[in-house]
Amino acid sequence: MRDEPYRWIEAIQDRRDYIEDELRLGSPVVGVTYDAGMMLLTVSKGQRKIFEVHDRIALSAIGHPADIERLRMLVTDTASVQGFQNATEDINLHRLTNYTLAPAFKQAFESIAGEAYIIKMLLAELGSASGKSQFIGINFDGIVRTDPSFAVIGGTEVIETGMQKYLTAAKTDADRDLTNAFRLALETWAIGKELSSREPEETESEETQIDTTQMYEVIETAREDGQIEVGVLETAQHGTSKFRLLTSQEIEDALS
Amino acid sequence: MHDKGDFLNLSGAAHQEFALQRAINHEGDFLNLLKHANYPLKVEVPPETVRHGADVEIAHSTTVVAVLYRDGVMIAGDRRATAGTSVIYDRAEKVLQIDRHSALAISGSPAIAYEIARILEHSFQYFRRSQLQELSLEGKLRMLSRLIRENLSMALQGIGGVIPIFALYDLNASDDPNGGKIFFYDALGAHFENVDFATTGSGSIWIRGVLRYLSRFGETALHEMDQRQAAITILRLLDIASEYDAATSGYNAKVKIFPTVKTVTRIGVNTVSDDDLAAWYAEAQPNAEE
Repeated sequence: MRDEPYRWIEAIQDRRDYIEDELRLGSPVVGVTYDAGMMLLTVSKGQRKIFEVHDRIALSAIGHPADIERLRMLVTDTASVQGFQNATEDINLHRLTNYTLAPAFKQAFESIAGEAYIIKMLLAELGSASGKSQFIGINFDGIVRTDPSFAVIGGTEVIETGMQKYLTAAKTDADRDLTNAFRLALETWAIGKELSSREPEETESEETQIDTTQMYEVIETAREDGQIEVGVLETAQHGTSKFRLLTSQEIEDALS
Repeated sequence: MHDKGDFLNLSGAAHQEFALQRAINHEGDFLNLLKHANYPLKVEVPPETVRHGADVEIAHSTTVVAVLYRDGVMIAGDRRATAGTSVIYDRAEKVLQIDRHSALAISGSPAIAYEIARILEHSFQYFRRSQLQELSLEGKLRMLSRLIRENLSMALQGIGGVIPIFALYDLNASDDPNGGKIFFYDALGAHFENVDFATTGSGSIWIRGVLRYLSRFGETALHEMDQRQAAITILRLLDIASEYDAATSGYNAKVKIFPTVKTVTRIGVNTVSDDDLAAWYAEAQPNAEE
C-alpha cells in the first residue's frame, strides 16, 4: 500500500471516519478548574470512566473499553515506575503524554494493517511548586492539546466545539466553588450528550446551544441507566495523593 | 527513546515496550513491574563477604514500640542512628507512614528498611490505581513478607537485616470496635499478630517485660488507655530503653529532639506534635531536669 500514496491517504481517511463513527455516541467528558483544584466529570453506565494515574494526575477517556484499559495501564505503569525510580514530584504530565501516550496513539492510528485505538483521552494535572494545573487531551491520531482552565472530549469535532462554546461563555473566574464547577461541568456534559444524539447532518446546521431546562432533561434521562461520575484533584487533600472520586452523597448535594 | 530523562538508562529503549506488554497482562503487582523495568531490587554482595554460622547477628540498634490503645495503635521509635559505637545521626525517623491507615516502624539496616518502606508505599498505591480497589489487609501483610524474604540473603550476611513492626487500622473490622492491628515480622518474613503490643530493636529487651506487666497488671490496661496515657507510657518506655541501650536515644532536652510518635486510627495516620510530646514528657518525667 505504501507504493500507492493515494490509497494510503484514503485508507487513513477511512480509518478516521470509522473511529469517529465509533466514538460519536460516547458519553463526553468535561474538565474544569475551581477554587480548590480541578475536576473531571462524565455520566457513565456501569464501567468506571475516571481514574487516578498518579499523585497529581487523573485520566478519563471515551472509546472502546479494551483500548481505554490498555492505554490507562500504559500510562499508570510508566508513571508508577518513573515516580519510584526518581521521586513522585518528578512526574509530569507533559512527559507522559508526549513521550509515552501520543507516540503510541499515532503509531496505532497510522499502522493501516494493525488495529486502531478507538479512543480519545483527557488528562488533568494539578499544579505544584514546579508547574501549573493543566488539562491535556489526546486525540486517537496522537495530536495533543493543552489547556490551563477547561477542556472537553466528545465523539466529534462538532460536539466538542458546542461544549467549548458553553464553557467559554460561562464565567471563567477561577473562584467558583465545587458546586458551581460541578453544575457548569454537568450542563456542558448535557450539551455534548444532546449533540451526540442528533444525526450527523443535523449537528452541522442546527444551533448547538440548548436551554437549561433541556439540559436537565438530558441529565435526568441519562441518570435513569447511568450515574454521574466525578473525579477531583484537590490541593488540600491529605497526603501525597490528591485524587478522589466524589461520593454519591456529595453529588446529590451538589444537584439539589 | 529517552522518555525518562534517566542518564543511567540511556541505552534502554525497552521501557515503553515493557509497559505495553505489561498492560496486556496485569495483576497490579508492583514488584513485577519493577523487575520488568530492570530495577535492581537486590544488592549483589560477593560471596567471600558472607559470614557463617553463629557470628551472624542482625544489626538492629534501635528501639521501636507499638501499643494498642483505645483509638487504634500508637507506634513510636527513638531517633538515634549508630554505626558501631558511634552515634552518627540523632534525628532519624524510624516510624514511617505507608498509606492513609498504616505505618511501619523499622529496626535494622536503614538503607534496606527505607527501601522496603518506599516499595511498600508505591506498591499499595500502584495496586489501588491499577486495580481500582484498595489492597486488602492480608494483601498488605503478604507484600511486606515478600519484601523481607527477598532481602534474606542480605540479612544472613549480617549487613542488611530488617525487622519491622507494621501497624494498621482495619476499617472493615466490624466485630471489633477497635480496628487497630499490630504485626511483628521475623527475618524470614513470617508475620504474627500481636494483640496488645510489639517492640523490636536492641533496646526492646529492656522494655518487653514492662509491657507485659502493664498489659496484664497495669492500673489501666494498655488497650483502655487514651492518647495521652498511651503517649506517656511510651515516652517512659523509650526512656528506660535509652538508659540501658547505648543505641537508643532518650529525650534530648538541650535541642528538644523527641521520639517519633504516630497514631494509626480510624481517621488515618497522625504524627503527634512536638508541643504535645513536650507537655506529656513533663508529665512522664516529673523530676526530670530541664
